Amino acid sequence: MNTPRFYGIRPPGVQAEAYPGRLVVIEGTDGVGRSTQIALLREWLEDCGIAVIQTGFRRSELASRGIQRAKRGHTLDPLTLNLFYATDFWDRLERNIMPALRAGMVALVDRYIFSLIARAVLRGVPRGWMEDVYGMALVPDRIFYLDITVEQLLPRVIGTAGLDYWESGQDYLRGADLYHNYTTYQQTLLAEYRRLAAEFDFRVIDGSKPVGVVFRALQQGMEDIIAGMTPSTPADGSESGPPE
Amino acid sequence: MTTLQPNSGPGRLFIVEGIDGSGKSTQLDLLHKWLISEGYLVVFTEWNSSPIVKTTTRRGKQRRMLTPVSFSLIHAADFASRLYMQVIPALQAGAIVLADRYVFTAFARDGVRGLDRSWLRKLYAFAIQPTVAFYFDVPLDEAIKRILEGRPALKYYEAGLDLGLSRNPGESFRLFQGLIKNEYDHLAEEYGMVRIDATLPLVVQQQQVRQIVRPYLQGLPPMESTGLQDALKEHRLTGRYLEGKRPDEEDEA
Repeated sequence: MNTPRFYGIRPPGVQAEAYPGRLVVIEGTDGVGRSTQIALLREWLEDCGIAVIQTGFRRSELASRGIQRAKRGHTLDPLTLNLFYATDFWDRLERNIMPALRAGMVALVDRYIFSLIARAVLRGVPRGWMEDVYGMALVPDRIFYLDITVEQLLPRVIGTAGLDYWESGQDYLRGADLYHNYTTYQQTLLAEYRRLAAEFDFRVIDGSKPVGVVFRALQQGMEDIIAGMTPSTPADGSESGPPE
Repeated sequence: MTTLQPNSGPGRLFIVEGIDGSGKSTQLDLLHKWLISEGYLVVFTEWNSSPIVKTTTRRGKQRRMLTPVSFSLIHAADFASRLYMQVIPALQAGAIVLADRYVFTAFARDGVRGLDRSWLRKLYAFAIQPTVAFYFDVPLDEAIKRILEGRPALKYYEAGLDLGLSRNPGESFRLFQGLIKNEYDHLAEEYGMVRIDATLPLVVQQQQVRQIVRPYLQGLPPMESTGLQDALKEHRLTGRYLEGKRPDEEDEA
């Protein structure tokens, strides 16, 4: 059982009693392979008999539509957008993640407060204010950070979805040179992630490695926290390899 | 006395606060009309009205999805949106901004819902200090009577039913408003709000409000006349096809 811990103060209306589940967060920039790894982890955990819920940004019942509508207009100031994301985050934490943890599930969360903090800081929102706003967030049982360099990231992104408007900082960087803005934006963002990694005790995994290697590293990194969740599952996942 | 961020523009910001049924909106409306008739450029903004955010808030309320924290955050998003899109540009342009409810509504309501008071102050640290903040102080019984007389049914969050104070909406509303009034009484002290006795005749309250506002209007440029009234008079037209323009909002200076 896990006693819930919060970064700052305990939020009102949230039970403080211990929960049997685990909160596992995967952080990293777009294109580093978070969703692939989460899909693999989910399958592996379910094969071990452990129930999983998955969640990520803009998936809340409350605020996902509102954020989509708001982003379409491009007229949003950074604080409003951040508070919208905070609402989305909080709705998922209280109404999806925490009930799952109390039910004994593993919550696999695709980006937590850290990506929100990193993106906001780049846009000039004070870091201290962001950390205050998310002060009531539950401390995860493990935070993985998939690290990568811009040079390693570029071919992956160009070869798949292409350069995204927001992921290139086009909303606040000047000029029409998307390639230049993308590299500038991602370099600053990655530096911010590394700073957060040190401050918030991330497990850093080299995200530039092949999928199977990253997956094995994630499995190994989860062994100790899922050990004991099911009596028949000693953490032997590291030997099973990725289901490819 | 605690203050918020300084107003860096030449405009003025007047805000009204008070529990439901204190009559603050009526007084602000009268102030609004007077300022327009005096020829000033006036911008009005009210709580929970951002076109970007309010549909989400409504969705959360209708489906009763809001918890104390998400209730607080979505209202902060609404406030931020109006502050950056409406209030700050208007203050920079030298306008008078009138706000029906301000951060103190969030401090009072969210505080009653159990949110940490210093957390709430940090959340709203970006808010601009009003030129004058009016607090319409009314005894609880009087306010409850005014509200319940004219209203068929209280809404879930309006009545504070999410707090579990009572299952009876009327009783819950009374307890909730009592707690909010207690918060306001402290906030009025802490932030140096100007207290108006909301049991006085409306016309007397309005006289007091105007008397307090008047000295702050010095140095504000009256709105430039567009010459519409002159044109109508000169050409003997009534302006009946002018859309969205009430004649009394033009050129009275």
